[in-house]
Amino acid sequence: MSKKVLVVDDDPDVRSFVVTVLEENQYIPLVAQDGVEGLEMIEKEQPDLVILDVLMPRGSGIRLYRKLRTDENLKHIPIIMFTGIALRSFLKSQKVLDEFKGGEVPEPDIYLEKPVEPEELAAAVKKKLG
Amino acid sequence: MEIRKLLFVTKFEELCYDALNSLLALRGAALEHVVFLNVIERDKVAMKRGSGYLKEEEVKLKETANIRFIDWAENLFELGLEVGAYMEVSLLIPEILRVIEKESPDLIVIGRSHKGALEQLYAGSDVMELVRRTDVPILVFKHMIDDNIVPEKLFERPLFATNWSKTDQKAIEYIKGLKEVIGEIHIMHVVKDSALKSSDTHEVQKVRKVERKKLDTLCDELEDAGLNARPHVYVGDPQKEIEKAAKEYQASMIILGSSEKAAIIERWTGSISKNIADKSIFPCLLIPGKKDI
Repeated sequence: MSKKVLVVDDDPDVRSFVVTVLEENQYIPLVAQDGVEGLEMIEKEQPDLVILDVLMPRGSGIRLYRKLRTDENLKHIPIIMFTGIALRSFLKSQKVLDEFKGGEVPEPDIYLEKPVEPEELAAAVKKKLG
Repeated sequence: MEIRKLLFVTKFEELCYDALNSLLALRGAALEHVVFLNVIERDKVAMKRGSGYLKEEEVKLKETANIRFIDWAENLFELGLEVGAYMEVSLLIPEILRVIEKESPDLIVIGRSHKGALEQLYAGSDVMELVRRTDVPILVFKHMIDDNIVPEKLFERPLFATNWSKTDQKAIEYIKGLKEVIGEIHIMHVVKDSALKSSDTHEVQKVRKVERKKLDTLCDELEDAGLNARPHVYVGDPQKEIEKAAKEYQASMIILGSSEKAAIIERWTGSISKNIADKSIFPCLLIPGKKDI
C-alpha cells in the first residue's frame, strides 16, 4: 500500500514541486500551507512522513517540529526539513528553545536546504520510507 | 496587555532589520512571535500595454523579499523567536487587515505614510486608514534624524500625551504591559488656549492645578503598576506642545490614543494623532479606540 506524505509549505510552487516528486515515486501526497493547518492534517491523517518548511505564516516549522518531536502520539512520524533557513540557524534556535522551555529536542534526521533537485528529494523520502 | 506577537510591515525602504532590531527589547514584554509582511504594490506588476501581467516581475519581487526575510528570520530564530512571513501582490491596507485577521498580532509596526499631500487629502493616509479599521495598536516607526540612525532604545523614554479620552484608558492599560521595557515615561496633558477662559493669572493657575492633579493620580496608578512616571502640563496648540515636550524630555517615542471619530472631517483638517504620526520626527505609537463610534 502506498504511503502518505504530508508537505507543509506556504509556497504553492514548492508544494506543487514536492507533490509531483511524490506522485512520480508512487507516494500519496497530502498538503498543508502553514504550521497550524499542518498539525491539524497530521492529527487527522497520521501520515507516514512529513516534509516540513520552517518560515511560514501562522505557526512556523520550528514550532511544529518541536511539537512533533515531543508529542508521545506523534514522535514516531519521521520528518524531512525542507527549507531556505540554514541548518546552523535551525539548530541554534532549537538550542535556545531547549534552554527556555526545557527538554532537549533531537536534531532532524534529514535537513534539505532549498532548492534541491527532484532526485535528491526523492532519495531523501526513499531513505525514510523505503 | 502583553505584546506577544508583532506584525512588521515593510517595503524594505524605511523599515529594515535595524528597525526590527530596535524592537527586540519587546522580548522583555513577552514578545515571542514576529510576522513579516511585504506588500508588492499592484502597479509594479500590473497589466501594461504590450506586455500583459508581469508575472516574471512578480516572481522576482517575491523572491527578493523572501531572501531578505529568510536572512532576518534566521537572526530571530536564533534568538528563540517564532517567525512567519507573507509576501503578496495586493493593496497595502486590505492586505494588512487580512493578515491581522489570520495572525491576531498585538502590535503593528509600519513606516510613515508615503502618499503625497494631495493623495492623502482624497484617500487619507495609510496609517490613519489603518487606525480607523483596526483595534490593534500601531507603531509608526521613524528614523529620528535625517542620517537614518535608528533609535536604539525605542521604549526607554516614551511620552504619553493624554486628553483624558476613553481611548486613553486603553492606552494606559497597554502602557502597563510595557513596564519591563519602559525606563521612564513622561505623561503630559496640553491645555488648549481656548480652555483658558480668563486671562486672570489665578484662573490660569487653577486650570493648571486641576490638570496636574489628574496627571499625578495617573502617574501614581502607573507607578503602582511598576512604571517610573513623570507628569507635565503644557498650554497651547496640542500638536506643537506635544512635539515640544518630546524634544525637551528627549522622548524615544510619542504615545497617543486615536479615536476614529469624524474621520472624514479629520481627512480635511488633520487631527493631532494624524499630524504627529505623519509629520513628527518621533516614532509614534497610536492606540486606536473602539470601533463603535
